[in-house]
Amino acid sequence: MATPKTDPITLQVISGALRTIADEMAHVLYRMSFSSIIRESQDIGAGLFDVNFNTLTESEGSPLHIGSIPGYLRGIDKCLQGGEWKEGDVVIHNHPYYGASHSPDLCIVIPIFFEGEMVAFSSNTAHHVDIGAATPGLIIDIPDVFAEGMLFAGIKLYQAGERNDALWKFIESNSRVSRQLKDDIDAQIASARLGVKRFTELLEKYGRDTVLGAADELIDYTEKFMRSRISEIPDGEYRAEGFLDDDGRNRDERLPIKVCVRIEGDSLEVDLTGSADQVPTAFNVPFDGSTKPACYCAFRVLLMDTYTADYKMPPNEGSFKPIRVTAPKGSIFNPEFPAAAEARFTQCNRMIDLIIKALAPVIPDKVTAGNSATLSFAAYSGVKPGGDYWVFLEVNEGAYGGRPLSDGPDTIDNLMVNTRNNPIEDLGMHLPMICDRYEIRDDVMPGVGKYRGGLGVVKSQRLLSQGTCTHECERHYDVPWGFMGGGEGAVGKVEIYTHGSDGAPRSVPSKFSAWPLESGQGMSYYSPCGGGYGDPYERPPEKVVDDVLDGFCTVQHARDAYGVVLNERNDLDIRATNALRSTLRNQKT
Amino acid sequence: MARIGVDVGGTCTDLILETFESDSTGRGVFIHKVESTPQDQSIGVLNGIRQICETAGIKREEIDLIVHGTTVAANITLEHNGAEVGMLTSRGFRDILHIARHKRPHNFSLQFDVPWQSRPLVKRRNRIPVSERIFPPAGRIEEPLDEEETRAAAELLKSRGIKSIIICFLFSFLNPAHEKRAKQIVLEVIPDAYVSCSSEIANVIREYERFSTTAMNAYVGPKVALYLQHLEQKLQSEGITAKLRIMQSNGGVSTAEKCARESVSILMSGLAAGVIGGRYCGALSNAGNILTVDIGGTSADLSTIPDGNIKIKNSRDTYVGEYPVLTPMIDMTTLGAGGGSIAYIDEGGHFRVGPQSAGADPGPVCYARGGVEPTVTDAQVVLGRLDPEHFLGGNLSIDPGLAKKAITEKIAKPLNMTLEQAALGIIRIMNSNMSLAIRANSVARGYDTRDFSLMPFGGAGPLNGVALAREISAKEVIVPPAPGITAAIGLLVTDMKYEFTTSVPTLIGSAQQEDLDRINRVVDKLKTLCRERLLEDGIPENSHDFEQFAECRYRGQGFELRAEMPDGKLTSKNLKAIEKNFHAEHERDYGWRFNDVEVEIVTVRVIGVAKVEKLKWPRLEEGSGSPVEDAFMYERPTTFDDGETRVTPRYNRDKLRAGHAISGPAIVIQHNSTTMIPAGYRGRVQEFGNLHISEHHA
Repeated sequence: MATPKTDPITLQVISGALRTIADEMAHVLYRMSFSSIIRESQDIGAGLFDVNFNTLTESEGSPLHIGSIPGYLRGIDKCLQGGEWKEGDVVIHNHPYYGASHSPDLCIVIPIFFEGEMVAFSSNTAHHVDIGAATPGLIIDIPDVFAEGMLFAGIKLYQAGERNDALWKFIESNSRVSRQLKDDIDAQIASARLGVKRFTELLEKYGRDTVLGAADELIDYTEKFMRSRISEIPDGEYRAEGFLDDDGRNRDERLPIKVCVRIEGDSLEVDLTGSADQVPTAFNVPFDGSTKPACYCAFRVLLMDTYTADYKMPPNEGSFKPIRVTAPKGSIFNPEFPAAAEARFTQCNRMIDLIIKALAPVIPDKVTAGNSATLSFAAYSGVKPGGDYWVFLEVNEGAYGGRPLSDGPDTIDNLMVNTRNNPIEDLGMHLPMICDRYEIRDDVMPGVGKYRGGLGVVKSQRLLSQGTCTHECERHYDVPWGFMGGGEGAVGKVEIYTHGSDGAPRSVPSKFSAWPLESGQGMSYYSPCGGGYGDPYERPPEKVVDDVLDGFCTVQHARDAYGVVLNERNDLDIRATNALRSTLRNQKT
Repeated sequence: MARIGVDVGGTCTDLILETFESDSTGRGVFIHKVESTPQDQSIGVLNGIRQICETAGIKREEIDLIVHGTTVAANITLEHNGAEVGMLTSRGFRDILHIARHKRPHNFSLQFDVPWQSRPLVKRRNRIPVSERIFPPAGRIEEPLDEEETRAAAELLKSRGIKSIIICFLFSFLNPAHEKRAKQIVLEVIPDAYVSCSSEIANVIREYERFSTTAMNAYVGPKVALYLQHLEQKLQSEGITAKLRIMQSNGGVSTAEKCARESVSILMSGLAAGVIGGRYCGALSNAGNILTVDIGGTSADLSTIPDGNIKIKNSRDTYVGEYPVLTPMIDMTTLGAGGGSIAYIDEGGHFRVGPQSAGADPGPVCYARGGVEPTVTDAQVVLGRLDPEHFLGGNLSIDPGLAKKAITEKIAKPLNMTLEQAALGIIRIMNSNMSLAIRANSVARGYDTRDFSLMPFGGAGPLNGVALAREISAKEVIVPPAPGITAAIGLLVTDMKYEFTTSVPTLIGSAQQEDLDRINRVVDKLKTLCRERLLEDGIPENSHDFEQFAECRYRGQGFELRAEMPDGKLTSKNLKAIEKNFHAEHERDYGWRFNDVEVEIVTVRVIGVAKVEKLKWPRLEEGSGSPVEDAFMYERPTTFDDGETRVTPRYNRDKLRAGHAISGPAIVIQHNSTTMIPAGYRGRVQEFGNLHISEHHA
């Protein structure tokens, strides 16, 4: 029997309330937290979930966090301490083979009881700076999942309201920055408790059945919307492939990614069969917690683009339901225990970029040309004079490919990354580090096109005392593609430099683990630049001139790639431009 | 010594004139509205001043003071037509304004716009790096400023005809020497340039926000300065010699000269006045805890005033559009919900209201100006709550039939509802959105709305007051005496206010005497700056008041909160008071405190205040002599939120007297505003004319 539908007005009221609860949870978490990865980068997710682990609502935050919590909940279900949820429980969980996104993203879950019955979960995830892994902050070249640090599988920090002091004490002894870790976990608990409080208030106001009934209808609604968007894409198999630089240890082994999107009516499958086998380092992707949410994210950006939409969709499970994800066991997107799987982000971002590429021919108005599609994640660390560690995690930005109606944005977090940078001045005041350069990369040009690709960033960070650096990124070889006649973008690069030395900086691979740096040594990260969209000869000459004036393009490049001629005063020579463009067009045909 | 408050809004320019015994007219308060003149706001301002003087029968030269709330700065940011700005910045960091915080405005989007890249405050070609380096943590000069490069950069900008120039160097908040020197050089090259240094405009840590604030100042500054000069000249040529003061975003007024120089401080000018006016009206009947809800045609502005204290936004949240602007702003939320908000059914069959608005043109369907999408106002008309003959003071003829038709066809039929249900739904959805926003601005910040009075104003506020108060469990509704001109009232009750800040990162727990000395020196310096400004304004020293705050965080946190500093010099003894105040603030804002974590002072802020004599709102005549029935107009069927339609009396607010009480159901009509009192509620008129509405148990 179908339950009676909620009246349309109450439905809107509850929809708004759910969204507000998630936003409030996220607000408390990032405002209260200590580590810059949470407070500045906002590398978190928060929301409410039903007892079947469906997302009822979720906050804005970092896209990979959003959508991963159901995986955690399904995992906890298999390993929960005592096997049963009690009112007042607070569970901590991060086991990548029990649904976690990756081990540093600790999940806090509090069950919500109403009138003696468990009705939902309030939960959040946040990236923690250090959980006692083999190397400070980030890990790549490690043997197995046990080198990732503390693994929590459905453990209770509070058991029916009783604080588990032994566990807290254990946590305290197992992190390089234990104080920060503990306080940030406290911030997560405060956020989840607020979710419990607010959801309970909602249940009291409207009644359990009305609220849960409305939440289900909102899921159906979002699902229906997603299905109708999918059904607009012609049925068929759409494929694209690319490759990853290496696994962080075996430098010459490129790792293929193969994406096949199967559209079948109003549902679809992402099949990653043919992608690389799992690797012996931590460069694997947990299937439930990361591969799947990354696919969901791909279709949200493609089919539920919040910029082009007239109104907001309720953010819930409905957008995930029409999407099936397949990755063979033992592959890089579905590793088998006990493979390490901490450094998993950049593969996900590349996979999303390939989903976009695969579908570009059939939905050209919704895609981008090739994106930077990597993540530069850097961990700098050292030991203070007193013997304590300092660890600093930094996310560096990328650039977008050109788009159907606009240039690719420059120097901005790409696809599934969406964090805030840490202020250079804040860094300088608190850590033995200094930033030497932070600007638009000017050593290469982005992809040419009617709409050009975005320009990447260059960021140079230097240590002022001895320490180490671990870095993960990608795309030193596989260049972002152009689309519809647009040109290729540019690959990224990483260099180690010594301040004040005349020697050229040393080119290094995209990924390296715990490299020692002397005082005065630093790392420069150059992100890839996006590919172009559309015929460059169709780019309005005025925009090319603007790019020349702004230093995004040289005079020579304007002539060679765009057929735009500038005179010696850098003004547009429209007659010469028209003539050159027509010659170049003829040559092309 | 008469004075005028003049507040420019999108549609109307509102005025209030207060005259005193010494004036030719004797003591009095007059209010007036004229049409705004968006092309040049000063035309409307002048018209209004002329007319209100005429109405009051006062000579123009008797006007001593004009306080002005203006949207001129905000409009430049909305219309993107500010100055061409040039920038000198540290070599290696040319693109801080382009990179911003590297976070996208949208989480799930590929086609999103990046406003700071597509419409930069300073184009890259005009961002010129020069060699110089200041090092943290003490501000040591690592590399001296290259003066030749600086001069060459200034020459280049000069050759491009750029006169609005900013100087933004890294770590200048620690040591402004390079910025100051570069400014001298720029002024040598371009003597009439409008030059802003980041350490002058926002002397705080965090490069992007500081640079963005400085850029915004340079972007809006020249036009704002021109407008204010122009207005002063016009006033003079009309024989008005009054001093001109401008409302700032922080809820204080300042001189026109200062606002021309630091125009970034008046971006929220008009909005701030409304909140201050709301506080003032609450105080008229001794209500301290106020939630103001100013509902206009396209948007609603909400604020929380606990115990008469207007809250200032955390500087991490002060944005204008997508651009961070580090100037103190009154804490308020604006959301896209108002009388013009459009109701529609989306593709998935859901019933939605706003944020799209029919605006003033074509406006709601009932205006019969070509609007076809049903709006909130149309719903109110259909429910019989807005009487056509009194709509906007009777100045606009409306057609309820069109409203009925639109709601029936676009909402009721597709959702299989009655016309009434659909109209009630429109209003309920809008009020629900609005009450969530009120909660986010109050309950979520640790304030219990049950202790607050909700004060609705603006044209569309008082109609929804009771419904909103119920949604958020406020204890009562207070409708101010003149809901349409609350912001103008705010202008005549606002103190002069100047604020200065300096970053002095200090851990309280390990602070030595030298650290305290440094903070004391900074406080003294900031007080001197405030004092100088107030003296320049002709305020004698004995009228100066100072507030001082330490903006603190737990060591390692990224967000500061304001903690009150003890009066007088900071000593090792009273230092702990800052810590205590910060813990309390943190617990209120986040529901949590860390007693064992070190507290760090990041920035010291001093606010110099000169109290002004507040407007004296006239007492209302006692109603004992005349019965409330004198105010009765007529009665008409009206549908309330409970779905009941009742024949409901209308009362003329102008005829209500102090002490009068009206039991719901009732509608109170006044020029530009209509108040609804549902059954079970009673309205009581207070001595200054506030209408208090609360539940009434017979």
